[in-house]
Amino acid sequence: MNARVKRLLAAGAVGLLAVPLAVSAQMPDDTTLVIAQSVDVGTLDPAIVGSRSEANIFGHVFGTLYQIADSGELVPYFANSYSISEDGMEWTFTLNEGLTCHDGEPLTASDVAYTFNRAADPANAFTGNTSGFVLPSARFVSAEAVDDLNVRIVTSTAQSENLRLGLLSEVYLHCEDYYSSLTLEEAALAPVGSGPYRFVEWVPDDYVLIEKVPDFTLREVNFERIYWRVIPEASTRTAELIAGNVDIIANVPPDQVDAVNNSGTAEVQAVQGTRRIYVGFQFGENFADSPGYDAIQNTDVRVALQYAVDVPTICSTLLGVECTRASSMVNPPNDNPNLTPYPYDPAMAEQLLDEAGWPRGENGVRFDITLMGPRGRYLNDEAVVQAIGQYLTDVGVNVTLDIRDWSSDYLPLVREKNVGPLFFLGTGGSTWSALYDMADLSAPDAGTNYTNWANEDWFALWNETQGVDPDTERTNVNIMLEVFYNDPPWLLLYFQPDFYGVSNRIEWSARRDEKIVVYSAALAE
Amino acid sequence: MSAYLVRRLLQSIIVIIGVTLLSFLVLHMAGDPTYLYVSERASNEEIAAARVALGFDRPLPEQYLNFMAGLLQGDLGTSLRSRQPAFDMVMSRLPATLELTIFAMVLAVSLAIPIGILSATKRGTPVDGGIMLFAMLGQSIPSFWLGLMLLLFVGLQLRLLPISGHVPVLEPLLQGNFNEAAANFPSAIRYLILPGITIAVFSLSRNARLIRSSMLEVLSQDYVQTARSKGLPSRVVIMRHAFRNALVPVVTILGLEFGFLLSGVVVVETVFSWPGVGRLVFNAITQRDIPVVQASVVTFSMMFILLNLFVDVLYVRLDPRIRLH
Repeated sequence: MNARVKRLLAAGAVGLLAVPLAVSAQMPDDTTLVIAQSVDVGTLDPAIVGSRSEANIFGHVFGTLYQIADSGELVPYFANSYSISEDGMEWTFTLNEGLTCHDGEPLTASDVAYTFNRAADPANAFTGNTSGFVLPSARFVSAEAVDDLNVRIVTSTAQSENLRLGLLSEVYLHCEDYYSSLTLEEAALAPVGSGPYRFVEWVPDDYVLIEKVPDFTLREVNFERIYWRVIPEASTRTAELIAGNVDIIANVPPDQVDAVNNSGTAEVQAVQGTRRIYVGFQFGENFADSPGYDAIQNTDVRVALQYAVDVPTICSTLLGVECTRASSMVNPPNDNPNLTPYPYDPAMAEQLLDEAGWPRGENGVRFDITLMGPRGRYLNDEAVVQAIGQYLTDVGVNVTLDIRDWSSDYLPLVREKNVGPLFFLGTGGSTWSALYDMADLSAPDAGTNYTNWANEDWFALWNETQGVDPDTERTNVNIMLEVFYNDPPWLLLYFQPDFYGVSNRIEWSARRDEKIVVYSAALAE
Repeated sequence: MSAYLVRRLLQSIIVIIGVTLLSFLVLHMAGDPTYLYVSERASNEEIAAARVALGFDRPLPEQYLNFMAGLLQGDLGTSLRSRQPAFDMVMSRLPATLELTIFAMVLAVSLAIPIGILSATKRGTPVDGGIMLFAMLGQSIPSFWLGLMLLLFVGLQLRLLPISGHVPVLEPLLQGNFNEAAANFPSAIRYLILPGITIAVFSLSRNARLIRSSMLEVLSQDYVQTARSKGLPSRVVIMRHAFRNALVPVVTILGLEFGFLLSGVVVVETVFSWPGVGRLVFNAITQRDIPVVQASVVTFSMMFILLNLFVDVLYVRLDPRIRLH
């Protein structure tokens, strides 16, 4: 290689490194916020939205009737009030005047009715959160416009006011003229929203760009545009945050928290999330022949095992955060304040197991049992399952672990209620309704009653509580949670902590409910 | 030649049936996909309704035959997740993956040839030993780890190159936006370097060793000795007489290498947030989006088949003694 060629190559290399990165425009600046999530959106149709990543973006692009505030309070948004018929089955929402969709079309009561009916239409075969969960859970039947500002939502039963309001407030409102003119295929690519940000561009597996709607008045927002980047690998997200290329990242692994906090450019916000993590006791008879099944049918044994697991130590050593053990299946502050979490007291566990008729045998074992758990679904799930197995073994319960891949193996078994006799699981919760958190156990045969628990007191009270006044509801909830505490179908663990990395250049506070909402995010002073 | 090509293309139909059937069965063996499409709180009735809506309630043979009937009409189905044509989704990601693969291929081949030749001509010397040591390391280092190290050291510590992301070149080029492609090119190269090196290292190491051994074999042939004894310059002997004859086994490997690189981009695309087919397939598999997986399998199979065909044709050009039957 002669000297000229070498000089040319060197100049080329220097020139290449000197090229600014501006062509990749997804960089933060004074008017641009960049957020990195691990998963891309799968669709841009508001009726199909199913994942948390999608909901984070759609929550900024589409309005809802009411909105769940950081505190868990349900606050007016596109609707300013509502009334409920005497039988509790018809809800009439009154909309704010002057609402529009981003194409300029006025958003009226008939558009709201269209939104609900479109999501519920079996012909569309939607499987997202709205059609697959919200509408069935709210017992939705139909929606109709009373006039331009009032929309009536008809349901099949009375229901807790807060529960139904929260559910209906998850539906993303859109305009009929635009969406009725599209095929489903077209609607999945070209959203026209109604919220404070409008959709600009989606580059699949790369980013979604949204920009501020200047004349939107219902919510104040600070940044002109938001890039929602997709960075699947946690270490890459952390590196981009530390490098200053991203403002907010979700799901910082506990082992990278120190690296972020020591970077000087960003800090980690750890919040106690709303997802309840527990070990279920299986009551289903298809496990009747399994070792340990008989033992856990005994309420005293289930209570004894609550004392055997050191949950705060699991949190501090395996999850990287201090936590308070759950005292019920309901998130604070909606839980029963009179219940205190079971303490870690292995001696008490042993005593109660002896008294329950399951003393240690000659080999030191009280009974054998299998603990099933997922791999790759919850924060450090495999390690937590192993720790729980060891704690139970320490009090004489000989645990065999059965850990399986989440999506291919464990999830189908959970949905078929074919896990147990002990199984590790998490379930999403809320900050706005105790009954929402308790709805996993809405009936002995409910799809989410994975333990097949059938406590008659609980289910009788559940049915009595639908549609009652808030005070009675609160009283009943507290009684039900005492029933749950004293006859536990779950070995109560913790509310899963969530870790967000936040750039020092902005001020923003993470929420407990896994939602990323950045209306109030602003440049740091 | 034409008869040969037609026969090979007909054989490819069997290959397509085999791989689509296999992937279809494997995806369905891993449990009922319906559960991945419903809320975690969906009731049994809602799950059953979703199963019908997604078509998973029908017998497996019927589902597969429907897919094959669509394939014959050029319809690879619609993504269950995004409601978009599955083939379009694959094709929209393919340019990004091809950019990465081609860049890595060029990097690997352009370095492997001189390194392999140098190693062969310096056989037994410290230079040869050093090259072979690095080649062994290059084949041993997991690409996931190498990618993260490059990203953390070059991207984060030295701030020389971007940590992650992608600037498109091939896509605007294919759409006829030449100005955009040209404007993007310098930045695109910067974004390509780290993931490109990560992918290329294994291929570079393997090919350098292959070229070395192929060259050593040819260099010991009589005609090379004759060329040397005629007094030809060493460079002419190596490049004109030895290297060309050492190329046949190398071309065989390079043809497969492109396919290997294509299929090996999943991890690297994930580490560097590269929006290519690898991530699309990975996500489709984890979400059991069967039409997208099948569309990807068909596309990749066709590419492998065509690549192998191209390599076969190239043999004839390189060595006139070879005949295609």
